Amino acid sequence: MHEFSIAEALAAQVLRHAPVGGRVREVEIRVGALRGLEPEAMKMSWDAVTHDTPLAGSVLRLDLRPWSLVCPACGRTWESPVPFETCRCGETSPRPTAGDELNLMSITVDEDETTAEEA
Amino acid sequence: MSESVRTTRVPVVERVLEVNDQLAATTRADLERRGILAVDIIGAPGSGKTALLEATLRALKGRRHPAVLVGDLATRRDGDRLARWCDQVVQISTGQGCHLDAGQIRDALMQVDLSEVDLLLIENVGNLICPVGFDLGQAAKVGVFAVTDGDDKAAKHPYLVQAADVLLLNKIDLLPYVSFDGPLFQADVRLLNPTVPILEVSSTTGAGLDAWLDWLDRKSADGGASTPIA
Repeated sequence: MHEFSIAEALAAQVLRHAPVGGRVREVEIRVGALRGLEPEAMKMSWDAVTHDTPLAGSVLRLDLRPWSLVCPACGRTWESPVPFETCRCGETSPRPTAGDELNLMSITVDEDETTAEEA
Repeated sequence: MSESVRTTRVPVVERVLEVNDQLAATTRADLERRGILAVDIIGAPGSGKTALLEATLRALKGRRHPAVLVGDLATRRDGDRLARWCDQVVQISTGQGCHLDAGQIRDALMQVDLSEVDLLLIENVGNLICPVGFDLGQAAKVGVFAVTDGDDKAAKHPYLVQAADVLLLNKIDLLPYVSFDGPLFQADVRLLNPTVPILEVSSTTGAGLDAWLDWLDRKSADGGASTPIA
């Protein structure tokens, strides 16, 4: 359940970056397939970690990057959510590669116009 | 005074584990400056990490000056086992945590006299998934699989296979008693990581341990030669 540690780190990071006075509505992260992050576990961890904090109620959006597969027989390349897949040419051992990126991409915040003007 | 709400999307693009990674980088620089090879040993519960460390420490007696950090959810049993073979063992109790992180390593290293140490063996919490993504400041990651775990474990844990600098296939003395397709295991590993060395070992019989100790020695020598002093 590394999702929980990641959610904790992410919450602290979002609080560091969020504009003062803004209410965080949405947080977007990009995750490479190598990380093996479970989207449902990640969202559940996010809700648990942000409960009773200024981030409560914010939505976590995950951009899960797929595996890239290259067929050594026919040269076809394609993307897949899983690393091991048979090519449609019949080759059983296409080579899987994936990234291990785990990046906060953006924070979407609601700000009262008046508050923003005063600040 | 307007009561309207303005919604803004703030682009950030920063690693989520940035804080952990920065701590790990500091640890890595410290250890490299001292000429200490640090390895992070990752494997499932029961794959034989502690037994491997016991056999390793026994074999290194008089040859190297190791220190051990051992992560465990609850007990001190691993630390107690290893303390028979090594003067400097620090047990890190992670509580609910399924992996070690860079902060725990830095705290634990405060309890170690590094002046005499040339090898830091870190036994991570038994888990093939969570520990892989958390940089501890190690020079190398060691993945431990056991033949008793089944031949599909490499395929099911691609991050460890791809991130590992060496893979140990442990408990090979039990091969006659379990169904383990060696060629399939090797083929899965090679698809994910074409170059990682795979060392077959048995901590019980000592088979293959020399190759593992040689790997540690070579890695120490490489690290010493190629690492610029900060």
